[in-house]
Amino acid sequence: MSNPGPASPVVLSLRGVSKAFGAVQALREVSVDCRAGEIHALVGENGSGKSTLLGIASGFLTPDEGTVVVGETERRRVSPAESRALGLGIAYQTYSHVLHLTVAENLYLAAPSDLRPTYGRMTGWAAERLGEFDLDISPTAPAGTLSLAERQLLEVVKALLAEPKVLLLDEPTTALGPEDVDRLHALVHERSRAGVGIVYVSHRLPEVLGIADRISVLRDGVGQGTFEAASMSEESLVALMIGRPLQLAFPQRHEREAGREVLLAVSGLRGDRFGPIDLEVASGEIVGIAGAEGNGQVQFLRALAGAERATGTATCDGKELDSSSPLGPLRAGVVLLSGDRASESLFPVLSVRANATIQVLRRLGRLGFLNRRRERRTVDGLVKRLSIRTASIEQPVQTLSGGNQQKVSLTRPFQRGDVRVILAEEPTQGVDVASRFDIYGALREKAKEGVATIVKSSDPLELAGLCDRVVVMSRGQIVDEIPGDELGERRIVEAIVGSRASAREQAAESPEESA
Amino acid sequence: MRLGRFSGALPLVLMTLLIVAVGAFATVRQDAFLTSFNLNNLLLLTMPLALVSLGQTCALLVGGFDVSVAALMTFCVVVASYTMSFETSGWALLPGGLVLIAVGLATGIFNAVIVRVLKLPSIIATLGTFSILEGASLLLRDHPEGPISSDVINGLTKSVSFVPIAFVAVVVLAVLADVWLYRTRTGLAMRAVGLDETSSRRLGMATGRMVILAFVLCSLMASLAGFYLAAQVQIGSPLIGNYGLESIAAAVLGGAALSGGKGSFVGTLLAALFLSLFDNVLPLFHQPTEYSEITIGVLILLALVLYQSPELLARLRTSRGGVGRLPAEQGEAPAG
Repeated sequence: MSNPGPASPVVLSLRGVSKAFGAVQALREVSVDCRAGEIHALVGENGSGKSTLLGIASGFLTPDEGTVVVGETERRRVSPAESRALGLGIAYQTYSHVLHLTVAENLYLAAPSDLRPTYGRMTGWAAERLGEFDLDISPTAPAGTLSLAERQLLEVVKALLAEPKVLLLDEPTTALGPEDVDRLHALVHERSRAGVGIVYVSHRLPEVLGIADRISVLRDGVGQGTFEAASMSEESLVALMIGRPLQLAFPQRHEREAGREVLLAVSGLRGDRFGPIDLEVASGEIVGIAGAEGNGQVQFLRALAGAERATGTATCDGKELDSSSPLGPLRAGVVLLSGDRASESLFPVLSVRANATIQVLRRLGRLGFLNRRRERRTVDGLVKRLSIRTASIEQPVQTLSGGNQQKVSLTRPFQRGDVRVILAEEPTQGVDVASRFDIYGALREKAKEGVATIVKSSDPLELAGLCDRVVVMSRGQIVDEIPGDELGERRIVEAIVGSRASAREQAAESPEESA
Repeated sequence: MRLGRFSGALPLVLMTLLIVAVGAFATVRQDAFLTSFNLNNLLLLTMPLALVSLGQTCALLVGGFDVSVAALMTFCVVVASYTMSFETSGWALLPGGLVLIAVGLATGIFNAVIVRVLKLPSIIATLGTFSILEGASLLLRDHPEGPISSDVINGLTKSVSFVPIAFVAVVVLAVLADVWLYRTRTGLAMRAVGLDETSSRRLGMATGRMVILAFVLCSLMASLAGFYLAAQVQIGSPLIGNYGLESIAAAVLGGAALSGGKGSFVGTLLAALFLSLFDNVLPLFHQPTEYSEITIGVLILLALVLYQSPELLARLRTSRGGVGRLPAEQGEAPAG
């Protein structure tokens, strides 16, 4: 490993960078330096601010405070084009491909003006660039037809086109198989030997420890310091990444009656970005889904709820779910609490009352007319039961806090006696601490009534406290399962960052092995 | 093929076929159709729609709409009845003409600012502009009056044989614009912005500037269309035509996608010609214009279905089998 000393010049420096999105403070006075020839890893949990930091470094996002220094130039605001001209290349985690255009056109748009051929020679030129990186991709194929792995490699090629002095790689291996990961790492080493400063973001700690010279840790948008990679272990990194002393009062797990029957059974379900997945959830059980963002967790939940297409079978209480539209699962009593509350589950301008009862209006009326008194009584009861903090039930939900909005969407399963399964996607995202525990309590209460629950969360602490069992997803598949007696934040984080998961991946050929 | 893919050329082929078919039909049935008088008349009638539709194509390319163009054209006519009145002639008309161009520029900048800086949806924002310009036209002329200089009319409609010189210019403009769109980096960048603004910004394109440019070009072309509308009505009339929706129809028939990033200026021009031809042919058969409206509506729907048939087919197939996008993604099943 090339290990440039403190003598090599700093090529990228972020100084006291802060950034807020609405009420969420994504970064708080973070400072990071990257030297020429160094591989500088940036680690942190989901939502700790890694991508935001890279976005600011590349000029895609403007910091609220602080400055970015690329080479010799110090700037508060740079455009992505300017930062490229200053010698910065970036591979975005969510890519920068225009999917309807061809590979060649995408490369052409990414190339700086002095390296661009004439328009007519674009295809041949693109083929040469792809050849340099041993990429077997047709330059005339639309980018949208590439596999995820090809898209990821193409993103790296685009970042390297301008021969940058600083290279930012945001989770560049999430879609890659082991061979491609090795190739990419060889390329990263080669560039660092050539004097390029590389910032490498990944949640996979073994990968990070294997490649990095120095490691900076982010937690909740705050820098936890920069360390020599040689002095760090997975354990010490995980401790820095989580390290929250917050004592949280999770609801008591109830004694599960032995032999409670399986309520939700999924077998061989596969769809866009996930599968095949087998999973059984018993009545009264809360199963957590953990994993780094973008490994198919969301797609899996949504497919179960009929909001995305999938093949394979899912049965609820022995009856097969018709998942061709959200209607089938809803009728069978499967309720999805979407992570995108504002656009997918709530009507922001309507009142708490209207949002709470919109799915059960028929039950509250007679002869097609609503019985307002009955409706109000129902909603008043729910507001009290879930401790929704609202001035009146006629208040539009958009004026409520995130936590109280989530509680309003939680009122829906409480009104229907026939709910069998709750699929909760990030149930406490953007939710204040006090409301969190109301939500945990509500989910546990439904579980006690016999509902089977799946919770997808990027917060390991939440999964450890709330769930009876957690499965870990990586690259669309379940790679680890943590039983109740082993549950803990550290155990989950370790599984996500790969120490155990990767061990299991290698042993995946023998599926009978239990976790 | 210049447009690269078959799907890009489909609208051009279809529009050409329709023009030939309707033209041939009219020639057989009506001696009056294939006369140089009628053809000259047809091409001149096409001019306002052709110009405004080319502008509309710019707005559609970046994923926007401009419904204010019809009111802008009418406002230009009303302004022309003052700045290029029948009393003026020769070079004295030049400042008056520049005023119209300035009106177009100002409207374009106004639209671009409300769409880009205030971030209002373009279809609603330009509807606001529409009302403002409509009111302004009525303030200036509450009923049609003020003849427009005959020098302007003669100059604009000057023809060689039956072909108006201006029409030749528009054809050249459309071809050049397509060469720009499909043969240069900035054209590619324009399409990229319409297709995926986030990625375009990440790739370092000045996305804001492109959208502003598109809306300014759109209004500028509408003010040029205003000149030809003035030459047609020949008087300061505050009545507003249906050019807003027709220009969108022409652009879409010519291959533009309402979601942005796709389109062809030549296709738009052919579609505008086809729409005018249809209007021109119907009176020759003594058929009421209602039929023309209905037929055009049906044709637009059919053309859209045809253009999108590959995607529609794919969608139908997946909804039957419930397979979704699986086949394309299977290849990347994670190793391990």
